[in-house]
Amino acid sequence: MLEAILVVAFGGALVSYFLGRWTSRIRDYFALGVWIAILGMTSYLHQIEPKISTFYPGFLGYDLSLRITSLSWLFAVTVAAVSVLVIIYSFRYIKGHEKRNLFYFLLLLVNGGMMGITLSGDLLSFYIFWEIASWSTFLLISFNRGKALPAGLRYVVMSVIGSAAMLVATLSLYSSYGTLALSDLSTHLATAGGGYVIFIFLLFFVSFGVKNAIVPFHTWLPPAHSEAPAPFSAVLSGLLVKMGTYGLILIFYLIAGMKIFLGLGTGIWSFHYIISALAGVTIVVPSFIAVLQDDAKKTLAWSTVGQAGYIVLGVSFGTGLALAAGIFHFLNHAMFKSLLFMSIGTVERKTSTRDLNELGGLVKRTPVLFVVTLVGAAGLIGIPLTNGFFSKWMLYKTLILEGNPFLAFAALVGTWGTVLYSYRLIHNVFFGQLPEKYRDVTRTSFSTYLPMVILSIAIVFFGVFPGFLLGEINVVTTSLGFTPLDVQLWGISSDSGTVNTLNILAALAVVGVMVWYLFRSSAETTEVSQEDSYTAGAPVPQGRFTYTADFYRPLEKIIRPYLKDRIEDFYGMLVGFVGVLSDTVRRIYTGYVGTYVAYILALLAAVLLVQLGWKPW
Amino acid sequence: MVGMKIAGIIFSPIIGVITGLLLTGAARKMVARVEWRYGPPILQPVIDLIKLFFQRPPSHGKTFDYGLIASLAGSIVLVLFLPVGRLCPLSEGGGLLLITYLILIGPLGMALSGGEGANPYVSIGISRKLILSLGYEVTLLLILLSVMSEYDTISIFNVVRAQSENGWSLFSWPLVIPGLAYLLILPAILGVKPFDVASAPQEISSGPHVEYGGKYLALSKLEGGLSEFIGIALFVNLFLGGWSIPGSLHLPAGVLGVFLGVLVFLAKVAFVFSLNVTVSASFPRLRVEQAVKYLWSWPAFIGLVGLIIVSAL
Repeated sequence: MLEAILVVAFGGALVSYFLGRWTSRIRDYFALGVWIAILGMTSYLHQIEPKISTFYPGFLGYDLSLRITSLSWLFAVTVAAVSVLVIIYSFRYIKGHEKRNLFYFLLLLVNGGMMGITLSGDLLSFYIFWEIASWSTFLLISFNRGKALPAGLRYVVMSVIGSAAMLVATLSLYSSYGTLALSDLSTHLATAGGGYVIFIFLLFFVSFGVKNAIVPFHTWLPPAHSEAPAPFSAVLSGLLVKMGTYGLILIFYLIAGMKIFLGLGTGIWSFHYIISALAGVTIVVPSFIAVLQDDAKKTLAWSTVGQAGYIVLGVSFGTGLALAAGIFHFLNHAMFKSLLFMSIGTVERKTSTRDLNELGGLVKRTPVLFVVTLVGAAGLIGIPLTNGFFSKWMLYKTLILEGNPFLAFAALVGTWGTVLYSYRLIHNVFFGQLPEKYRDVTRTSFSTYLPMVILSIAIVFFGVFPGFLLGEINVVTTSLGFTPLDVQLWGISSDSGTVNTLNILAALAVVGVMVWYLFRSSAETTEVSQEDSYTAGAPVPQGRFTYTADFYRPLEKIIRPYLKDRIEDFYGMLVGFVGVLSDTVRRIYTGYVGTYVAYILALLAAVLLVQLGWKPW
Repeated sequence: MVGMKIAGIIFSPIIGVITGLLLTGAARKMVARVEWRYGPPILQPVIDLIKLFFQRPPSHGKTFDYGLIASLAGSIVLVLFLPVGRLCPLSEGGGLLLITYLILIGPLGMALSGGEGANPYVSIGISRKLILSLGYEVTLLLILLSVMSEYDTISIFNVVRAQSENGWSLFSWPLVIPGLAYLLILPAILGVKPFDVASAPQEISSGPHVEYGGKYLALSKLEGGLSEFIGIALFVNLFLGGWSIPGSLHLPAGVLGVFLGVLVFLAKVAFVFSLNVTVSASFPRLRVEQAVKYLWSWPAFIGLVGLIIVSAL
């Protein structure tokens, strides 16, 4: 079964490429069919006994294997589900682009690579699938050429550094223990010394940190996310980045185990606490950098970095509730961020801009798009009754009750950054007067809406009934050695404060209906045009009577000096230094034969000198 | 117990709405007296409200309507999660963390509704409101975290109960420090002068409310009164012991005790509110960046010191 999934995934990618040369319509449906089949097969594996199967015996004298656990199942099924939705979304989006076959091929390859990552049973096959996903990601990021090329290049340089770190760690583990199977490594690592474990952890942390965009490895992400084609941005942000999270959980909790991971060092100088602190920085700074962006996709990209901080904080903090919150937030983030990238992608396709200062008034033209974007933004902020609320609530609760108010403060302040940029995103795209040039923006097609509507329903559904997902997550955290949580359909019950989503829903529904009734039963309203607004008697200007540019200007003036991306500057300095160094080295090759003859003569002279016994006088 | 819960569900929003309205009326009267005027009757907001419900207003679309409805509904739901005296129908669940998120629904609903109004004054008002909120939230979060860490709970109900046994937080060490910080940011939370940057009637024509008339204005006034009530009620619950009386006095049990508890609570709300009205009557409006600079200087510093001391002890 596990092999079958991968065969279908990679075979499907190849076949759809060649199908596309014949007819594009069949290619689209074939790609969709492949991933629906994979989703079906993966869901069939639900709560199966953990099992291992060798799929390639004797690769360089080493057996490659696949393995499924509750953890990998959860990630695999998320990958499959979001992939299906993204493929549906791509139908319309990619129409009219060049090289559509290549796009589908690469998209299916990335998704297949991610399935492989989640299902690998040993670190070598993990590395192979990791590389497949990474390289096809590079090609997809730079798919649009132009500005996308340097973005892709930046990604690939950082990705190679991460891969190299992973390879070193993998080889070191192999030379120490003679095995790379995940199940065997856990027994070996239990007896390893603390120094060696930290060495391995650091290497893997660099590798997964690059992918997960943890500060200071985040600089590749904003340009990559904003320049990639929108369907792929959704995959990139919702899934691919979170393969780093999967890797971190794998190495910290599955291979090393909770005892080793939480036992390195004491107090605030322990390994997991330092990572938590890094995650705290990753939440706060990028969330406020996102507030300052004028590009809608760049806002979302920085927001991805910030939300990744919440997930990593949950994974590294080291309580069962925190880990559950981290995994839950990963699932939620896959939903709302894919949705937001899709909707902004649609806006960009309709208006051919994503500059927040240019857009406006689209609520009148595309009401459905507005509603789904609003739901996505609500999930991102964490408004109660959307899924993002519950995962963040769990995280805050454990941070506070475990006596870490400063980490909780970082997480809560990050939420305010989220409120600011999410509202600005909604306001500048959908509100204000509708400019003349967008008067004829049409509603978009069914296949574009369908994935967004499904995702927004999921966001609300899992916000009201978080228990469905928490039940699955509970199995995962329990299998990693944490005490089980008391999961109910409406949340988690515990002595130290519970939140009941059904109470909130009931209260909001009843009160909402009452207020609505009061609203309906009082005097009638008359609908007026957008030009009919208050200007203290002055005539209303047409089209651009809108306040969008520099929306947070008073705030910007205060915070911008503190939010310079110093790490970016540092890397820039590094690049400049390497450039100067290489330039100096290059100067040796002048291109004149005379110079080279002079080099040869000088060398000969030096050799003779040494031969004579270094006695020039 | 069930009866009290139902009573709480019915009465606490009503108490909240009425108190909110009366407080705005009282504030106008008090400001008038400070300025040596006679001022309107205290019931003036109620009279205005009734009148407004019968006027025929213009509407700018569906979001314009439903955003406002969601805003008022969100604020009413929030009151259900706050202890109002001894009426605390749902406040055992979720606690302070839920409140920090539920408190967003009111302003965001109003912002969405105003946004469709397509008026720059609305947008400027919302932008200022969000910036100001960021300004005071930094301090408020530090304060809330201090309280939660000190009492080792996330439930606001437990915080109030602990104070009825051990005395008010505002007069206990080390919570007096975050309490002082809270007093410093309270005018900003309430949006009264010198922090009325978001509405600023003389400057941006009441900001988010500029497109509202008739029942829209009525609902937004209800929401405004309610959010003032919520802002003060949170302070009274966290630092002034909710329903509890200082010293050796204890409220009787039963319905009378509940009734007296609500009265004590409302008396504290009125007292704190009048303090803020005095501040409001004596200062001119700040610009929004001045307000943020103020909020991030002394109040945030005191809040940070408070959190450090609380977590160190």
